[in-house]
Amino acid sequence: MSIRQKQGTTLFTALLVLIGVSVVVQLWLMALSVDAVLRHQTGTPLYAAIASGVLFVINGLLVLYVFHFDRKIKRP
Amino acid sequence: MAEETLKGCSDCAKKKAARWREDFPIDWEADNYITRREMVKYLALGSLTIAGANFLLAGVPHLLASPQMPRVKLGSLSDLAPGSSALFRYPTPDDPCIAVRKPDGSLVAYSSVCTHLSCAVIHDRQQNTLFCPCHNGYFTLNEGRPYAGPPNRPLPRIRLEQQGDEIYAVGVEV
Repeated sequence: MSIRQKQGTTLFTALLVLIGVSVVVQLWLMALSVDAVLRHQTGTPLYAAIASGVLFVINGLLVLYVFHFDRKIKRP
Repeated sequence: MAEETLKGCSDCAKKKAARWREDFPIDWEADNYITRREMVKYLALGSLTIAGANFLLAGVPHLLASPQMPRVKLGSLSDLAPGSSALFRYPTPDDPCIAVRKPDGSLVAYSSVCTHLSCAVIHDRQQNTLFCPCHNGYFTLNEGRPYAGPPNRPLPRIRLEQQGDEIYAVGVEV
């Protein structure tokens, strides 16, 4: 395994953990939204949805970066 | 002797298992193996699903809110002396409410259904507060917020409008 591939593996693992943490935060935001909806609060679910959307965009960009990096190191 | 028999049986089991594997050559470990790439894809899909659910939840209060509340005449302000209360129903005949004229002359109205277990809330004139006698729940007169007893959600407030001496109920603030 080349140094570049080792770096790729480390990077991949780190990003996997980062995305996993983001998903947990999104789950927490969803629980918060359900609680706010049941309390008839209109503002909180909107802010939670925006935050969740931002996290999804970040996750999507990280995934795209990971696969781009993956293709690059596999190239002969 | 007994050990040999047992050993023989375990060999039989292995042989049986081997024959079974020959008939159905599925590598379960490889079949259940999830790579990091797949895991990342699943997480990204999960992230998308949760974000979508969050946006749906943000839209629920707007979908549930009724577009227009009726405008209902409640009566004359002069009929209600300061410190007294009156019962009415708004927005439908199944929604009991209470209007209280505070000692300073201003009028407030709330749903009279306790947010704890739906008992009827009454006006406690001596303590100048709203009181649920079922479980001793107390709500403030100014905002309808619970401050004692088991209720932990405020009473829905009825929006009022005054035209001359006439009082109208025009909406509900949850």
